[in-house]
Amino acid sequence: MLPDARTSNGGDQKCEGRVSLGALFIAFLKVSLCGFGAGLVWAHRVAVEQRRWVSEDEFADILSLCQFMPGPNVIGIAVCVGSKLRGSVGAIAAATGFVLIPGTIGFLLGVLYFQHAHFAVVQNILGGISSTAAGLLIATGIRMLVPYRGRPAALLFAALAFGLTTFSGLPLLTVLFGLIPLSTAVAGIEYARAQ
Amino acid sequence: MNEPPASVALTAHLALLSSISFGGFPTILPDVRNFVVATHEWLTDQEFANCFAMAQAVPGPNMILMMSFIGWKVGGISGALAGALATFGPPCVMYFAAYRLWERFRATPWQSIVRGGLVPVTLGLVIAGGTIMARAVDARWQAAVLTVAAVVLMLRTRLNPLWMILAGGALGGLGIL
Repeated sequence: MLPDARTSNGGDQKCEGRVSLGALFIAFLKVSLCGFGAGLVWAHRVAVEQRRWVSEDEFADILSLCQFMPGPNVIGIAVCVGSKLRGSVGAIAAATGFVLIPGTIGFLLGVLYFQHAHFAVVQNILGGISSTAAGLLIATGIRMLVPYRGRPAALLFAALAFGLTTFSGLPLLTVLFGLIPLSTAVAGIEYARAQ
Repeated sequence: MNEPPASVALTAHLALLSSISFGGFPTILPDVRNFVVATHEWLTDQEFANCFAMAQAVPGPNMILMMSFIGWKVGGISGALAGALATFGPPCVMYFAAYRLWERFRATPWQSIVRGGLVPVTLGLVIAGGTIMARAVDARWQAAVLTVAAVVLMLRTRLNPLWMILAGGALGGLGIL
């Protein structure tokens, strides 16, 4: 086996010993239940701001990685954070926390809802929640962009990604594969200049 | 012809789709619809739309729930479980492998270059995701004001976002939005 390079690089972790599997399970259970379409907001709040399990940079890495992989992205954050803290069992604990109980609750609520058709009040409440969650998601994106404010190229590519996806109607994949090579090339030039 | 049972066919198809759903699960929804509504006629268009609306409406992992609702309509409880597993299982294995690989190269120059290219685009997409969601749900100006208020409060205060969610739900329930 390769020596475990991760422990030597995770030096900003709190030195309070290992995070328990139960803590991972509970944390991502909360992320999932509070999500309402904006699970990322809660993943950031819990893993970065409250527990300090991953740094701001690591979280941005994880999010990027998950964004470019297939699947429901927020569960990917659970898998990566769990994996960083406790390896494969940690990944399983975090992903199970994310899915098991919230999935069961959501499923039962859903079945109930199917059988009792549509309550206008419920629809209105959910509409209000969605409007709020959309705002929280926007704010989290802005907040994560703050560390990049000194890099005009980074802000430009963020603005392009935002504008093209929101207003052009181009498929997401087209936007991704159009912008990533460009923005990586620019980052490479910046890196070379800084050396 | 020996057709496999419906829920087996659905599970296999969902596992395949979830493995190629680059750019997020919503990108494969049209394909799921074709498979369950047009090709196999397991669900009507209305039922499919209901599954979507419901998954958005309840707390929890939305897309996984949506696939379990479809699985439920096709094959009962076991269909629901299989649909959910097929949706998150294969991608989780991939996330795990990719993260391991990424961590192995931590602190190499090329990784910080790739990061410098990827992260800004990702964050632009996150903000776009919120905006698109707002555009879909904010039918009236009152709702748009609520979205903007949530942005400002989240950026300017340390208020727990759960209070904002609750307040948003209450305003919606009172019929103000």
